[in-house]
Amino acid sequence: MKILIAISSKEYSGPTLDVGMNIARALKASTTIVDVGQKISEFSAKDVSLTNELMESWDLDRPGVDVLEWAYTYLAENKFIESQTIEAGFPKNLLVESRSNRAEVYLKGSVIKNLNLILRNGDIIEELRDEVHTYNYDLTIIGGSGKRSMAHDLIQYIDSSIFIVNNFNLKQDYRILVAVNDSSGTAKAVKYGVRVAQAFGIDVDLVTISRDNHFGEGYKNASARAAKLMRRSGVAAETLFKVGEPVNTIVEIAGNNHIIIMGASKQSPIAKFFMGSKPLDVIETCDCPVLIVK
Amino acid sequence: MFGFSERSLSNLLFWVTRKKWLILAFLLSISFFYIPSPEGLTPEGHRTLIIVLVALILIISESIPLPAVAILILIMEVILGVDTADGVASSFMSDAVFFIMGSLMLAVSIVYQGLDKRLALGVINITGNKTWRIVLGFVTISALLSSFIGEHTVAAMMLPVALALIRNAGLETGKATHLSTVLLFSIAYGCAIGSIGTPSGGGRNVIMIGYLSEFGMADLSYLTWMKFAYPMLLLEIPIVAIVLWHTFTPSQKIMDSAVRKLKVQVAKTGDLTVNQIMAIVIFLVVFLGWVFLSPYIGLGIVALSGVFLYLSFGLIEWQEINRNTNWGVILLFGSAISLGIQMKETGAALWVAEGTLNNLEIIFQDVAVVRWFVSVVITGLLTNLLSNAATVAVLGPIVLDMGGNPLITGIMTSIASAFSYLTIVASPTCMIIHSTGLITPSDYLKAGWKLFIISVVLLLLISIFYWPVLL
Repeated sequence: MKILIAISSKEYSGPTLDVGMNIARALKASTTIVDVGQKISEFSAKDVSLTNELMESWDLDRPGVDVLEWAYTYLAENKFIESQTIEAGFPKNLLVESRSNRAEVYLKGSVIKNLNLILRNGDIIEELRDEVHTYNYDLTIIGGSGKRSMAHDLIQYIDSSIFIVNNFNLKQDYRILVAVNDSSGTAKAVKYGVRVAQAFGIDVDLVTISRDNHFGEGYKNASARAAKLMRRSGVAAETLFKVGEPVNTIVEIAGNNHIIIMGASKQSPIAKFFMGSKPLDVIETCDCPVLIVK
Repeated sequence: MFGFSERSLSNLLFWVTRKKWLILAFLLSISFFYIPSPEGLTPEGHRTLIIVLVALILIISESIPLPAVAILILIMEVILGVDTADGVASSFMSDAVFFIMGSLMLAVSIVYQGLDKRLALGVINITGNKTWRIVLGFVTISALLSSFIGEHTVAAMMLPVALALIRNAGLETGKATHLSTVLLFSIAYGCAIGSIGTPSGGGRNVIMIGYLSEFGMADLSYLTWMKFAYPMLLLEIPIVAIVLWHTFTPSQKIMDSAVRKLKVQVAKTGDLTVNQIMAIVIFLVVFLGWVFLSPYIGLGIVALSGVFLYLSFGLIEWQEINRNTNWGVILLFGSAISLGIQMKETGAALWVAEGTLNNLEIIFQDVAVVRWFVSVVITGLLTNLLSNAATVAVLGPIVLDMGGNPLITGIMTSIASAFSYLTIVASPTCMIIHSTGLITPSDYLKAGWKLFIISVVLLLLISIFYWPVLL
């Protein structure tokens, strides 16, 4: 399992990093934390890199290193890095260009395997897409931007499951809401539900929604299978059948104290591009974190 | 759908959304190609304008790499029959392109000499520890140096000085404050106003001089340019400092300990080395070459001679120049100048100039006002969307075809192309300070609009009251 955690600043990325690293620890996943910095116009790219080189001789960090250093401090404080390595401090001198436009700090002594900090520059969607494509991540974790176009691009173009850490409150007690139906995405969503529930030691609501008062065999079987898997995994789960418009119902049940987990839409990319999808509508309207499983 | 896998459809969609401007440019060029040429415009002129439109869309949107835009311009010029392959090739390379290439290489050569620490000491010794004096000092030094060396060189050397001061003041270097904003803008705007001072202040000045000479309109020497433009530069220095100070007044009025720490840090670098002395001497030789020899051998050849000296005295490795020179920009300006020359030769520039004059004359009632409006206001606005050199390369032939004294119009356009105060992409210096993460796009507007208006008015006053004295 490989996880990519996208952070942007000390002010806004605290919850994202916290949730991301806890999931990474629970799943024993190799994890990369990425900061995508400003896009530099091609006209000025060389001027900026020349300036950055000069800044090193002044012992000034290139932009973005402060964000990685903050992430390192978080990792050290939360025991993701062995204490004897922490004493040496943030190894910014080990920041090396692994490819053009991608610099990497190789961290020694991390508690979970392959913990990396990287810096990229450019358009956030293009950079995350390239990172996920090239290094085959299973899950991308990112803070909520509140913009529909951003959420759309994330679930449309990033080739991994996406966890949008929207409005996450560290002091809040969360439950997990898994949206269950007869689609193939549900099975994957339920598996993720188990993993996240185990990671955080929290309970699950398995919610099946029908537009009318009739629940077909497919829905009932899917719900039963999900409940069985939860039971076997030792996760406390409650099964709910609700009637209503799916997106509104999910958002309503979720409130601000659930983590929503749902499978990605199976419509064709063209249809999703023009008409949107249920996961996109949920991300846009809900007030809590959402994990879209691909 | 259509036998495509979901992944390839998704890839295709991604490509389409990221390349929408390229697709739009392609569709527009096809449609314009098939509409009949407007009255008064030759078929070659018509096709040249299609290339201009495509180039503008692609440069502003940056939807394909800039060198690709450059290559596309050359291909289209030949395929659309605007000129032969040999004709395009010869208009592609000119002394202005030599100059842009030479000045980018000189920038790398100078930046690598480690003169930035000495520059810092010089600035601080002059300004002392009062913050307003440091701001004024930053604007002054940036403006004066960039008028000779070029703005990107100066911004690269001054930025670490500003960031070191911010860090020494006990502020987080990653967090924006009024102090960081005012210091960074004093560099960017200082460099912008400085770049108008001499022809070597910016590639666009040399592009304009190249057009004036190529079109047989005027021969402008280095010193004549300075006589026209330098007074404006000197007047703008206090204006920029005052506007910046009032827009971003920092709470730290004195930076005593920050300045002291900086002096200690810089003192460690010791005396000037032999290499640094040679580097300065070579630059002075280049400067003298620009002043006295450029009328005979061209500004570009003088700049390249400087690069030759830096390389042959072993002051810079070729690998460093190769790695840090933006070859894409050189290609693009070569193509843009080639396009500018084609605009003139095919009559496209004249057609646009006359059309603009006729249409705007209805509004302004006076040809001179229209000429002023296009060469100053339109150039000033376009420079904030495009790069400033590309603006001059494209607008130059049009404004020069608007009649009036081409020398005045040319210098006025070049100066207005330095009003790059409003956006990040306006100039490399704006991008350099933005790359620190301390300046947001809205910061550019806060002081930028005031400076834009003041600069436009100042240029108008200078062109009315001062320039006629020189003619």
